[in-house]
Amino acid sequence: MMPLVSIRQLTLEAATTRGAAHILRGIDLDIGRRRIVGVVGESGSGKSSLAACLVRLLPANLSRIDGEIVFDGTDLLGLSEAAMNAYRGTRIAMIFQDPMTALNPLFTIGTHLVDVLRRRHPGLARKVATARAIAMLRRVGIADASLRFSSYPHQLSGGMRQRVLIAMALLVEPDLLLADEPTTALDATVEAQIVALLEELRHGFAGSIVFISHQLGLVAQLCDDLCVMYGGTVVETGPVADVLGAPRHPYTRALLACELDDDAAGGHLVSIPGDVPDPVSAHVACVFAPRCPHATNACRSSVPALRDAGPGRRAACMRMEELG
Amino acid sequence: MTALASAFRILRRVCATLTGATGFGIVVLVLVAALFAPWVATADPDRLDVMNRFAAPSSAHWLGTDQLGRDLYSRLVHGATVAMGVALSAIAIALSLGTTLGIVAAYLPARFERFVLIVFDVISSFPSMVLALAIVAVFGPSTLIVVAIAAITLTPHFGRVARAQVLTLKSAPFLEAERILGASFARIVVHHVLPNILGPLVILASMDIPVVITIEAGLSFLGLGVRPPLASWGTLIQDGYQYLSDSWVPVVVSSLALAVATLGFTLFGEALRDAVDPRIRQEL
Amino acid sequence: MSATGEALVEFDGVSVVFEGQVRALDDVTLAIRKGEIVGLVGESGSGKSTLCRILVGLTPPSSGTVNVGGLPVHRQLAQDPLAFRRRAQMLLQDAVASLSPRMTIGRALEEPIAIHKLPRGQTLEQLASILRRLGLPQDVMAKFPHQISGGQARRVGVARALLMRPEIVVADEPTAGLDVSVQGELLNLLLDLQQEFGLTYLLVSHNLNVIRRVTGRTAVMYLGQIVEAAATRDLFAAPAHPYTAALLSTNPAVDPRKRHKPIVLQGEIPSAVNPPTGCRFHTRCPVAQARCASEPPALVEIEAGRQVRCHFPFSLLKSGSDA
Repeated sequence: MMPLVSIRQLTLEAATTRGAAHILRGIDLDIGRRRIVGVVGESGSGKSSLAACLVRLLPANLSRIDGEIVFDGTDLLGLSEAAMNAYRGTRIAMIFQDPMTALNPLFTIGTHLVDVLRRRHPGLARKVATARAIAMLRRVGIADASLRFSSYPHQLSGGMRQRVLIAMALLVEPDLLLADEPTTALDATVEAQIVALLEELRHGFAGSIVFISHQLGLVAQLCDDLCVMYGGTVVETGPVADVLGAPRHPYTRALLACELDDDAAGGHLVSIPGDVPDPVSAHVACVFAPRCPHATNACRSSVPALRDAGPGRRAACMRMEELG
Repeated sequence: MTALASAFRILRRVCATLTGATGFGIVVLVLVAALFAPWVATADPDRLDVMNRFAAPSSAHWLGTDQLGRDLYSRLVHGATVAMGVALSAIAIALSLGTTLGIVAAYLPARFERFVLIVFDVISSFPSMVLALAIVAVFGPSTLIVVAIAAITLTPHFGRVARAQVLTLKSAPFLEAERILGASFARIVVHHVLPNILGPLVILASMDIPVVITIEAGLSFLGLGVRPPLASWGTLIQDGYQYLSDSWVPVVVSSLALAVATLGFTLFGEALRDAVDPRIRQEL
Repeated sequence: MSATGEALVEFDGVSVVFEGQVRALDDVTLAIRKGEIVGLVGESGSGKSTLCRILVGLTPPSSGTVNVGGLPVHRQLAQDPLAFRRRAQMLLQDAVASLSPRMTIGRALEEPIAIHKLPRGQTLEQLASILRRLGLPQDVMAKFPHQISGGQARRVGVARALLMRPEIVVADEPTAGLDVSVQGELLNLLLDLQQEFGLTYLLVSHNLNVIRRVTGRTAVMYLGQIVEAAATRDLFAAPAHPYTAALLSTNPAVDPRKRHKPIVLQGEIPSAVNPPTGCRFHTRCPVAQARCASEPPALVEIEAGRQVRCHFPFSLLKSGSDA
């Protein structure tokens, strides 16, 4: 089956005082229908920019955007702003990271939800919209849904606000749902609640989800497919269990080693020496080469292609076969 | 980046716009006239030549003479000295006093802070002209009185801004970090609070210069400020106005001088404020 | 890293009430022995930040005592504040924001010299060697805080604290904002420094992996109280308090074999202004009983080195099943 979204050679550059910053360097990624794709990466990986591209809310200092994002047959990058806007809130929805600032403090929760509904279904009667909104609030686990419907954002806790954001996204009934670190700003026990909620909701959800996170464990738990990003490139993709169980790219391996680090207290912790690449530097080699324990001259002089690494898997490493 | 280097950067940004460059140009003109008045002027501003009263502009008297035959141009130039002298000293006083009071208010317990704020409110809500009249009635008109009035009028302005700045800063992690290092309250205020609030205050000061120029001109116009024969733009306008039927030149040129100077400082102040926008401040 | 018997820091019945209403800390009793690394775990409202501030003398306790080196903090601050400051240092959570924005890093690092009147030449030499040790390049001295990375800012904070040869260092979320791939480096550094300078740490972190790997003992806080304190290894192997069990289970493991069903608590963290009656955790506790709602449990030592504040410890296993 054709993927819902096919990203090909997506390149994003922004203008800074020091020169052009390469935020995304030729990204190739497929998002399958009804799949949850986890996108993991550290700072500078470009994962949040990828989400911004999918919904085309791009930075003001953008100097270049190339490639294509084919959403169900249409290249989103080729659309006019008006045409693109028709996708937002109808076929594409987004859950933002910080529930504290994602809601307008002047409007009630109900207003937020009804607005979303009426954008999706123009002409929907107010009573019907209200009923659906309250039902959705219950669905996302908010007790006293009718009461919360009339509450203002500041009257809700962080966890509840995040549930509201999820409710808003689900009301859109989108084909593509983007979740950008939706639990990062929450306390651990509240995060557990939201994760449990997401696990439960996905079964009833007909679309695809892109789940962006820096937490491998979370992605391992929630997602079907995994996309590992580093320095503005995709270094590895594939089914999540396969990628985490038997990583083909040295960065994925190193990252896992840092996370798993199961030794008892006492020994030194694992880390990857060096720093994330400077986005202003040109793209002529493997982005991970400076920190890779297996880098060779070939790695430092040409860009590795994202190629086949097993059934449904791809990795961008020239030495992947030798390294096993 | 040294302070000087960042100052030049800001100046360049100010002059990048037409209004900013114009403002800066006028400011430089006025400052040069004020500082170097004896050289910029062509004659002694107090030299009487009654035979030559209301002379038309000529090579000897670039803008003609006033009702007592004094060279108008030279009097205007010395008027700049008065304007700048009053403005800068009044603002210096208001800035220091206001900032100190503002910082103190921000750290005082609620009761005392309220008291300081009430004092600010009283001064602000008092019509400055009435205040001026009252003070002049007691002490008599003089340049010093004008400075005092302007300083008093502006102090609450700086005080409130300083206090607001300090309040925002109070919860900043770096102030706590300094406390943990063992820095005394005095050290924290002088080395860490002051440098971080001075920026907006300095810009405020530059935008208040035209205000003080106008206050001084207004008071002098009413005879409540600078005393003759000292040349202030205000007194020049007053004189020109009195003898309007004899010649229109004095009142027009002195009003123009006041207007242009005020405009110039206003444009410069606004351009300065824009140039030090927090977004750009990143680079400083 | 072995701890000697004497307690360097002792919290005894410390309570902090803000504005007469918010009970940020309630009857906290905790001892930190010399040379230990004690971890502090808790969510919003747990009071862990307040506890740190009390230790370094930023906030006075409303009741109870806190001693450092046998002497009450407030007395040390009154008699010789600078000496106390040299003794107890803190690494703030936001490393970049803890540096004065208009001061260069170089000037910021010289603050201790100016404040404590340290011998300038000697201290600058020490500073140079510390900077080398921390891997900070010379050119960082001329930069401003907003121009350096979070990791570098953190190391600057460490350098500044070390200049005063502290006995105890409170590290508030030392790895917050750092990528996983570089967290290890910083933590290794902190561990090495501990050996070299004979430091004692109170380490606050919401990252359970960090706590597990780095600390020897851990105290778990909930709504202003310590609900469990034990050797880290024991705590993670078999948490006694239901909250600890739930908290530890929220850490999803990457390895699917190690993954177990997380314990999902009901409800939100209650407000500190009006904490629940009885056991503060009972409103969310999956194994709460009648007694829990009426009778507040005391912090009791149930085994050697393990204290729990619960009427029914070990009744919730970390796998989620009841014991």
